[in-house]
Amino acid sequence: MLKLKTFSGPFFVWSATAISGLVIFTILAVLAVTSWPSIAETGWGFFSNIWNPSDGKYGILPMIYGTFAVTLIALTIAVPMGLFTGIYLSEIVKPSVRIYLKTALEILAGIPSIIYGLIGVSFLAPFISDNLELQTGRTLLTAGILLGVMVLPTLITLVDDALRNVPNRYREAARGLGLYRYEITLFTVIPLAKNSLTSAVLLALGRAFGETMAVMLVIGSIDRLPSPIYNLLVPGQTITSKLGREMAESVFGSIHFSAMVFIGFILLITVLLITYLTGKFSKKIIIHE
Amino acid sequence: MNRALVNIIFSNLSRVLGWLALVLLIVLIGAIVIKGAGAVNLEFLTMGSSNFGAGGGILYQIIGSIIMITVAGLLCLPLALGTAIAQTAFIKRKSIQNGISMLVFGLNSVPSIIFGIFGLIFFVNILNTGISWMVGSFILAIMMIPTVVVTAFQSMDSIPTIYRESALSLGMTRWQMVRHVLIPQGFSGALTGLLVALARAVGETAPIMFIATAFSGVTIPTSVNEPVATLPTHILILAQNAVDPVALQSAWGASLVLMVLVLTFSVSGLFARLSLRKVSQR
Repeated sequence: MLKLKTFSGPFFVWSATAISGLVIFTILAVLAVTSWPSIAETGWGFFSNIWNPSDGKYGILPMIYGTFAVTLIALTIAVPMGLFTGIYLSEIVKPSVRIYLKTALEILAGIPSIIYGLIGVSFLAPFISDNLELQTGRTLLTAGILLGVMVLPTLITLVDDALRNVPNRYREAARGLGLYRYEITLFTVIPLAKNSLTSAVLLALGRAFGETMAVMLVIGSIDRLPSPIYNLLVPGQTITSKLGREMAESVFGSIHFSAMVFIGFILLITVLLITYLTGKFSKKIIIHE
Repeated sequence: MNRALVNIIFSNLSRVLGWLALVLLIVLIGAIVIKGAGAVNLEFLTMGSSNFGAGGGILYQIIGSIIMITVAGLLCLPLALGTAIAQTAFIKRKSIQNGISMLVFGLNSVPSIIFGIFGLIFFVNILNTGISWMVGSFILAIMMIPTVVVTAFQSMDSIPTIYRESALSLGMTRWQMVRHVLIPQGFSGALTGLLVALARAVGETAPIMFIATAFSGVTIPTSVNEPVATLPTHILILAQNAVDPVALQSAWGASLVLMVLVLTFSVSGLFARLSLRKVSQR
């Protein structure tokens, strides 16, 4: 009995650890194995821009393009705004006001992405189609803007944390030299927080890549490269929106299913790589709540 | 260049952009509350849906969401607590500790749709479970592990070393030390993390939409092999036919209810964190 008691506890602890640690490998392995049939069958055919399962064509370029275009738009909006708002919160606003703003941000960061999607289809998409006189408001640009707004609260919080982690004595020393606030912020605080800021942006990037629901509802879901290539006012497709829309239509075991899993696998590898870089830039591990 | 002028421009620019971002975000909340309040009433909360979700209420969606995340939380808690205990008390080598942290951190970054696909392949097709709410709970539990591990680890790690050393010097075995010193403190930390993780899990759509939910004709599940209806997937289906104003109205109502659920979890997580801090400062 004593023996059982002594061993069951550690046994539980070790198996829990094994499960938590190995889940990620299981996911990678399952995705790799499932996507193999389509890799063997399609090969370099993945690098084309026609996706037509009934014809055996699985070109993933439109999805790759869409993912990068949407993420780029999102970060173009979110990074400057996030940076300035973070500076405002950390360096300018009074502490008494700051607490309320931080709480509001935490609430906003918690809005589920499906609700952002609903906001997108009922406000943003009609707004875009009315103002830009388009046939449909569901475009790459719409998805990018919505995604930018979505990652904003997280980004602001991370920028604020990064700047607050710079000890006050640096600010005081800079102030003692007679520097203005912009000089203190831009030439003292930001260089010191550079690594954490980079990891904040990378974290936002990883999130933007993997976001599904909101993007899927407003992007229009058409597997075509825009022509000309920089035209962002047309419907498009990202990896995630493709998966969300078409996964349920494909039959398990078919090449179609396997090709879908393959694009998911590419997404996973990309995001894990970004995460690895994020870890390189930040000393402590951030798990954003 | 006039430094004083640049300073004024810089301060005001960040002030304006700061407020712009905040106003934008507050408008979002306002939209959810105003649009949602128009749809929510007692009937909406206590009736099943009819007319393919456009009419009736969302009672079964609320029940489905709550069942799924409750079970997910119960599955996640022991796993995460065990991992955190191993990190604190069992693993001595720094490199292995960092390795596990890295894996957990990696798991945290996996996009939610990937969990859905993994669940679809591994549970629904390979283990042949079929579409069931239990599979959804499994997947959500896996998703929540990182947040709970980290908070539990932090709260156990903050226990002064002298407590642990005193326990061991009294002749306790390591497990007894874990049982009487680490777990009491770590458990409340894990609960805090769990509440925060649940706030996120209850709103997740992508992981469960292929594997655990059905849209119409679902009531309270009587076995583990049945699909349920949930709030996020309900909103998804309604938002997809965004031309129908009645369906949209119902979607806004469901969004407000979902938001209230999310806030309930995150605010109680916040309070738990505050009271926890008080305990550790005593």
